Amino acid sequence: MTVAWQQDQKRLTPDQVQSASFPMSRLGRRGYDEEHVRQFLAQVEQEIVTLMNEKTSLWNEVQRLRRRIIGRENGGDAVLFGREDAHVHAVQILSKAQLTADRYVADAQAYSHRLTEEARSRRDEILAEAQEHAEMVLKEASARAHEAAMAAFSEPPGGATEQERRGLQAELAYLRAFGEVYRTHLRAYTEGMLRSIDEWERREARSLEQASFDAAQGGDTRGGTGGGTAPDPVPPGAPSPEIVPPGGASPGSGR
Amino acid sequence: MYGDEVPLFFYSDLFIKYPEVREMFPISMRAQRDHLVGALAQIVSQVDDLEALTAFLQSLGRDHRKFGALADHYGAVGASLLATFAHFAGEGWTPELAADWAAAYDLVASVMIDAARRDEVLRPPYWTGTILACERRGYDIGVLHVRPEPRLDYLPGQSVSIESPRRPRLWRFYSMANAPRPDGTLEFHIRMVDGGAVSMALVYEVPVGEEIKIGPPVGMLTLDPTSGRDILMVAGSTGLAPLKALIEQIASLPRPPHVHLFFGARTADELYDLPSLDKMAGEYPWLRVVPAVSHDRRFNGEVGNITDVVARRGNWAAHDAYLAGPTEMVRRTAEMLAAAGMPGRQIHVEDFGWSEA
Repeated sequence: MTVAWQQDQKRLTPDQVQSASFPMSRLGRRGYDEEHVRQFLAQVEQEIVTLMNEKTSLWNEVQRLRRRIIGRENGGDAVLFGREDAHVHAVQILSKAQLTADRYVADAQAYSHRLTEEARSRRDEILAEAQEHAEMVLKEASARAHEAAMAAFSEPPGGATEQERRGLQAELAYLRAFGEVYRTHLRAYTEGMLRSIDEWERREARSLEQASFDAAQGGDTRGGTGGGTAPDPVPPGAPSPEIVPPGGASPGSGR
Repeated sequence: MYGDEVPLFFYSDLFIKYPEVREMFPISMRAQRDHLVGALAQIVSQVDDLEALTAFLQSLGRDHRKFGALADHYGAVGASLLATFAHFAGEGWTPELAADWAAAYDLVASVMIDAARRDEVLRPPYWTGTILACERRGYDIGVLHVRPEPRLDYLPGQSVSIESPRRPRLWRFYSMANAPRPDGTLEFHIRMVDGGAVSMALVYEVPVGEEIKIGPPVGMLTLDPTSGRDILMVAGSTGLAPLKALIEQIASLPRPPHVHLFFGARTADELYDLPSLDKMAGEYPWLRVVPAVSHDRRFNGEVGNITDVVARRGNWAAHDAYLAGPTEMVRRTAEMLAAAGMPGRQIHVEDFGWSEA
């Protein structure tokens, strides 16, 4: 170690402390206890070693910084080392802030993604249920109509009395009317269902507006032609056209 | 070695030294950092293929016009790039190394600036598109009708990037769904991506009359009119858009080849453009349209994965193939066709290159 203060002759070194001796007291008991003195000296030695290590590292740091200042002055670079350190510090602070912003945006986006996904799967469930229900009703109605028609035709021509025939025709008329009313109700019900789904969707879009506007950045890698990559739940498809004719029955009549 | 640290340092350095540049970037820089690293990697990997590298840099330079990048900005970027390298190289950063990198960057920047300048004479940095109409098709797809100002010339099958004022600094690529028309209007098919900031805004929010920014046309999914082969097209969902534009172009040829279009979606509801396709098939004797759904057993037609449907409908090795749609679907179909003996140069897929930001 070629550090400057070691050349100062007045300085106490650990060696000096270690080799220091204390004359024994002639009156025996009145002198210092030798063991205590030794212990104390060991402590002093340790302390000095520690101090010297600390000073050495500080000295190295001073030298390093001094070299940088000199280098700047000779090299013609106008930026002082202090400013450059401050700049790196600022870059690190900004980087940390940017990462935080990135995370907030990603979180908002993930939330929006989850919300849309859940809404979609609920929509699909409702649609599937409605479709199933509609199909069941339709099947039942057509089975009954078929039954009635079969009954009417299988009646032996001469076997039925005029009264029986009239009764059967009345029942057929009733069944037709019943089927018509049922279809009307079913249309109105299904359309109402679709309208409320549309309304739900509009509201969801509005509420998502804020969330996604905050997100507003990142994600959504490729729209358009690559847009089918998002993992969608499995939708069962729209109701079949028999169930929901365009502009079907009078709206609201069945509710 | 440093991963995300390097681009993170670069952008922070740039924004501290040139705060006005920050406005040109979105709030979240996550995707941006990946783009930067991707572009640098591409430059380094192509350093031995000067022709390809120059073409890449030229298109990058042209594309940056829409962001408002000016010649001055290149100096700022170069300074921050060198500062970043110096910071991470530490003791190993010598004046010679610095000079080499500075020279290399100047070369890259001058190619980009030069291409941007020559492009200035030819076209605006971006087009202003006015929304004429937005039709909702099914639940998640919107068809956007747009009039660009000035007129936007492109090849059928190409795409443009779009920025909505509701989602500033977020550009997304969409293909034109029509061949260039006399009145210059464009049609885009937009599928809503769950949680996708831009697609959601375009499908649900953009009102008629609103103005969007449109970047320059890009993409290599264009017709090879000299091949003489019949054509197989496979569209997944809104991947239909560029293929529909190609069909319109083919319709104007004196002797159109036979075209088989497979249009795949998850459910019948998502076959959002079938009436229009059926009408085209009725009009053009050379066009056959085969719709297929993958997740709807009630569907009255082809049911199954679109790649499998295409495979079981014949051997296509003597055709030219044009594929567009979700990445995974395009990849699988291209692999299937190659395995069935179709030469690679006959398989055309969407390629946006690196220009998204």
